[in-house]
Amino acid sequence: MSLLLETDDLGKSFGGLTAVADLNLAVPHGCVAGLMGPNGAGKTTVINLLSGLLRADRGRVLLDGVPMQGLPPHHIAAAGIARTYQNVRLFSGMTVLEQVMAGCFLRRGTSLMASFLGLPAARAAHRAVQSHALDLLDRVGMADRAEELAETLSYGEQRRIEIARALGSNPKLLLLDEPTAGMNAQESDGIGRLVHALRDGGMTVLMVEHNVRLVMDFCDRVTVMNFGRALANGTPAECMAHPDVQAAYFGRADDAERIRSLR
Amino acid sequence: MKMWLEDIWAAYGSTLGFGMVNAFFALSTYAVLSAGILSFATVTYAAAGGFLGTQLALHLGLPVFLVLPAAALIGAALAFVVALVFLRLESHWMALASLALVLITRVVALNATPLTGGVYGLSVPLFFPFAGLVVLLGVVAVVFWRLNQSWYGIAARAVREDPAVASTLGIPPRRIQTIAFVVSGATGGIGGMALALSLQFLSPDTYFINIAFTMIAAVVLGGSYHWAGAILGAFVFTALPVVAQAVLPEFEKVLNGVALLLIMIFLPRGLIDPRFWRLRKSAKS
Ligand SMILES: Nc1ncnc2c1ncn2[C@@H]1O[C@H](COP(=O)(O)OP(=O)(O)OP(=O)(O)O)[C@@H](O)[C@H]1O
Ligand SMILES: [Mg+2]
Repeated sequence: MSLLLETDDLGKSFGGLTAVADLNLAVPHGCVAGLMGPNGAGKTTVINLLSGLLRADRGRVLLDGVPMQGLPPHHIAAAGIARTYQNVRLFSGMTVLEQVMAGCFLRRGTSLMASFLGLPAARAAHRAVQSHALDLLDRVGMADRAEELAETLSYGEQRRIEIARALGSNPKLLLLDEPTAGMNAQESDGIGRLVHALRDGGMTVLMVEHNVRLVMDFCDRVTVMNFGRALANGTPAECMAHPDVQAAYFGRADDAERIRSLR
Repeated sequence: MKMWLEDIWAAYGSTLGFGMVNAFFALSTYAVLSAGILSFATVTYAAAGGFLGTQLALHLGLPVFLVLPAAALIGAALAFVVALVFLRLESHWMALASLALVLITRVVALNATPLTGGVYGLSVPLFFPFAGLVVLLGVVAVVFWRLNQSWYGIAARAVREDPAVASTLGIPPRRIQTIAFVVSGATGGIGGMALALSLQFLSPDTYFINIAFTMIAAVVLGGSYHWAGAILGAFVFTALPVVAQAVLPEFEKVLNGVALLLIMIFLPRGLIDPRFWRLRKSAKS
């Protein structure tokens, strides 16, 4: 299977703190990849590097073999990477539908000028995008809330709206940063099923996930990070059986010492 | 009846005229604010539009109805250059830099004597009918309405709320903000020329801090989340002192300040706030 996403010795430091070091990720096309690790392991930093919100100090990011590092975020989005945020970042004051419309900016199908002038073709394209946005909301089960102000909805609902917004650009690679945080088991399974449906539609997903059961059930491959480095790589079962992973997650003090010496 | 109308017109006609002029300044401020930028450079676009527009009429004989579009072009071109520089700055420095630009504008107005008349000022012997001003404001309002409805409007709202998130959705924040600057420049240029036509005289102090204060106050009063708020705020801010003078002469000087404080405390998002309506709608359903 060919690789959609590859990182090559990716590194990022904040002052003296190494948040990500020598990270080599390899995500094949059509795969649901999990990214795990204890708090502060550097998972969100990886998502920020991949989406271009942070600039890597070292290393490369390749999407379908094309280098992405150093490009501004909107170019990376246009190349096919979309994301959600660990602390939901929806736009204040916008309805649910408007959030997803904003996510459809890249596939609006008209120029800004034609849309400003309200040319017939631009209006038709606008209606098409609007119905597409409603379809996306339907996929995450939020179509009936389309006209509501997003900030009035529950946390779980806001997370699903954020996923619909990210899908608006029809990305090749979807990055989800803890999509099930704060959700109950039933809601979490809903996200898992959605991710599978997206994969079956040809999309590739990289998700940061803490819930081991969800990772076991829904991820095809997993990378476990600790202190900015990859501890283990492989199928969920392999990774969970890995002694370093067990130490990092359930370890005693002497285990933690050993992990630190791995840095 | 007719007498009565004429009295009203004599008393408040010029207030209405200045309300419209201020509406252009407020819309110019709203144009950048709606893309997340606080800039006072409207004063500079207004000065460029007013002085250069007047010179075009006086020396090239440009007819008045063409002078206003010319002022819009001048303001837009200037704003494009300003955007190239300002968009490299962090947002709070941008606001300060734009204030510096206002100070520089006055120095230039004082010293570029052939263009501005220097300390003696410049008389503007041009006539523009009141109805023309109404039509012009209508046209500009339609432009803002279309911008708001279009993909530009969607993108600008996203950039205003969170430029980083907008950029990960593929919305280029700099490009959207550059468009915002150009729209602000065109509207400010028109406002500057409209002010020249209303006053019939320009001095180096015509385009100065007072305009910056008026436009910010208008946007705070009316609301900075909808273009109609800018227009409403401009009329309220212009009319309040005049109404006060007629009704409560003792309070004329403080009424605008009091109104501003009350609005900031009780309606911090201004008189026209789309989010408030939506919250009410969400609460009902
Ligand atoms: N912008 C930043 N500036 C300074 N330090 C940062 C920044 N972002 C992250 N860090 C630090 O980098 C390290 C990795 O943080 P990161 O947010 O990537 O961890 P994480 O794996 O996502 O953790 P969590 O599970 O808590 O979300 C942490 O020590 C964090 O404090
Ligand atoms: Mg995180």
